[in-house]
Amino acid sequence: MTSMRWYLLIPACVLLLLVPVVVLAGGDGGFDGVVSAIETRYNAHATRIPLMGLMSVVSGTATHGGMGNLHVAEFDNFTAQVDGNELDRMVEQKLGDGWERVIRETSRKGGEQTLILMRPEGARMGLFVLDLDGSELDVVQVSVDPDHLQDSIGKYSHHDHDSSD
Amino acid sequence: MRSGIKNCMAALLLSAAALAVPALAQTQDAWPLSPALEKDLAARASDVTEVTLGKNMLAFASKFMNGKDKDNAAVQQLIQGLDGIYVREYDFDKDGQYSMEQIEQLRKAFETPEWQPIVRERERKSGETTDVLMKMVNGESHGIFILDAEPRELTLVLILGPIRMEDLSKLGGIGGLGGALGNVEGIAPKGKKGGGQ
Repeated sequence: MTSMRWYLLIPACVLLLLVPVVVLAGGDGGFDGVVSAIETRYNAHATRIPLMGLMSVVSGTATHGGMGNLHVAEFDNFTAQVDGNELDRMVEQKLGDGWERVIRETSRKGGEQTLILMRPEGARMGLFVLDLDGSELDVVQVSVDPDHLQDSIGKYSHHDHDSSD
Repeated sequence: MRSGIKNCMAALLLSAAALAVPALAQTQDAWPLSPALEKDLAARASDVTEVTLGKNMLAFASKFMNGKDKDNAAVQQLIQGLDGIYVREYDFDKDGQYSMEQIEQLRKAFETPEWQPIVRERERKSGETTDVLMKMVNGESHGIFILDAEPRELTLVLILGPIRMEDLSKLGGIGGLGGALGNVEGIAPKGKKGGGQ
């Protein structure tokens, strides 16, 4: 009888461990949550760029912290019909609080959708961009520090002026 | 002890709500489109463009401009002073997707002493109507509202804060505004400076 209880206890434990994993995977928020939701809703597969984390670190260093937390996902051959309102709702829900939609362009016929959301992150600004153009859907999230980024851009524009002189 | 914590929490929540309500009301007072109407128009339109930039977002966006460049510095200064930029552009596949009652409702929202009409255009043949209103406070312009209604296109632009008609072209570079302002830029009366600036 005692051994029978053990047999029941093991699958019960496995189930208990699985439930949070499944729940968390489905209810994941932020950038990954948006990408997962798009994959599920439109039955599409996102191409994840390898070594994105490393690229994010490199871009952060190159811009002296002007840019960081870079996320990119690309959907090729995205042929699903997209309802702009539904997509907008889904993105806002998955991204969570603090994000404000600043630009939205939606075209019913041409399969074009653009969403730009911003979120203040202290001295930085979080930017989320979703762009569907024909059969290509790109999703990008980045955190920028305008002051540092401006300095980095300024450096290159000085080089430009110098070289043109 | 517990009731003390509860009271503190309630007080905090009430204070937060009291602070949030005026901030929300400021925009909602000026923005003429009700969420229901906005949703209805978006559902009927084939193409929709929405730009919503509040004061905080504008302040942040202005930091991306290179203040050392003379032209950019002027735009940066202009944007930093604004309280908000709101644009809605709806393109329709066919005529009659919005009613004249809806347009009248939008116009009525600006029938206040502060908002003064500076352009009122009605083209009987094409059915196009254009209204440009300016918010005047102590003789200075503190906002522009543009309503351009064509049979298959409806454009609303609301800019809050110190702005003049000739400043509109400077804002064209902001996402989505170029197209929307391009429609109405040409209709501004040439002599109108829009306030004492």
